[in-house]
Amino acid sequence: MNIFFLRLKELLDYLNGCSADAPVWLGRNLPGWVWGVWWAVLLGVIALFCGQSSKFIYIDF
Amino acid sequence: MIFNTFSYFLLFLLPAAIGFRLAAPAAKPWVLSLFGAAFFVFFSVTALAGWIGAACLLLFLWESAISRLYRPGSRWCLLGVVVAVVALGIFKYWNFFTGLPFGGNPRNNPWHWHGAFLPLGISFFTFEFIHYAVDRWKNKTVPGKFSEYLAFILFFPTMVAGPIKRYQDFLPNLRAPSTAWAVDGRLGMTRILVGLAKKFAVADLLTALTDHLNHDDIAQAERWILPVWLMAYGVKIYADFSAYSDIAIGSARLFGLKVPENFDWPYLQTNIAKFWTHWHMSLSKWLMDYVYIPLGGSRVSPPRIYGNLLITMLVSGIWHGAGLNFLVWGLWHGVLLAVHRAWTKRAGATDKSPTLLGRYAGWATTFVCVNLGWAFFVMDLPTASFFLRRLFLG
Repeated sequence: MNIFFLRLKELLDYLNGCSADAPVWLGRNLPGWVWGVWWAVLLGVIALFCGQSSKFIYIDF
Repeated sequence: MIFNTFSYFLLFLLPAAIGFRLAAPAAKPWVLSLFGAAFFVFFSVTALAGWIGAACLLLFLWESAISRLYRPGSRWCLLGVVVAVVALGIFKYWNFFTGLPFGGNPRNNPWHWHGAFLPLGISFFTFEFIHYAVDRWKNKTVPGKFSEYLAFILFFPTMVAGPIKRYQDFLPNLRAPSTAWAVDGRLGMTRILVGLAKKFAVADLLTALTDHLNHDDIAQAERWILPVWLMAYGVKIYADFSAYSDIAIGSARLFGLKVPENFDWPYLQTNIAKFWTHWHMSLSKWLMDYVYIPLGGSRVSPPRIYGNLLITMLVSGIWHGAGLNFLVWGLWHGVLLAVHRAWTKRAGATDKSPTLLGRYAGWATTFVCVNLGWAFFVMDLPTASFFLRRLFLG
């Protein structure tokens, strides 16, 4: 896989909370304030789009 | 619903996670069991089949009791599997199978169960029951204590829609959960927030497109829009179910527990076999271990291997829903897997890595085939057939 996409995937996995440690190429874990900003962005997105009240679509619902 | 309700977070997740963290080691499984039972009753009563649905908690009590009798090679294990399959068969497939001779019309079916309902999470906890019975029979897992097995089957973050756990992975975790509160909190909360954002901002938003996948809209639509609607469904179901898995995995993390991952960039995979090892991974692994391998897996003659692939994917199809469209969806994927296997055997493709062009071609083919398959997942058989006729023949 192209190195750019590989790094992008690693970064997204890290920001998604899939891995505890930052990608090696990033050098170090992100500081607490960055996570705070990221959570604020996510909360903003949730607040903006919630209320459509659709069900989860997989099975048995 | 459930994972996008305040009830889930305020009444269950936060109190249970804090209670679990603070409890003495011997009490931890009981904390999970009690909250799990309360969760099952609460959401059965408020969101599903009412008190009759809540009474299905008896299935867990039966399972926890009979599982104490499981021994390697014991017939009790077989009984456990049979009861789990029969319960799933009655609740999920009764009307489907009894209705088949009558063309699926409930009015013509004298055995139609009018009050049919699905106990919360039955498709998933049945697979965990079967896994434990088979693995005890094969002596692949230790029994653990009564409370520990009860905590395993009643662990509410994964009860409704997985990821499907394995007892031998869960038990060491339960006995020695992570004590890194800060890291678990950061990872768990991040995962939950990402899951909710994905659900609301991607999956729910795409409903505006996917709602058109019905006979009337398909009949009136211009042809070029049809693949857009279908691909929108492909993105929606990924965003929706991976969001659900994110919330489940993040919730477990708040307890200091790790549960299996379910998705690993499935739409980037370059063949259908890889797609299935990256899509709903805990289900794929379950089907591999408890259906495909017992059938003989890949250690039999080529025709039987293809047959095993078809049977495994048919089981996957009917498990996803009691309908002929789900059977066709499973059959479609079984055929794709069989064709892929025949192709790689013939081309010897496993011996050399494909070229860049070959990888892109493989990715595009896989993406198109998977998305075509969603037609049978989201629409009933006549509508899906009509959709595909309009798509390809105009």
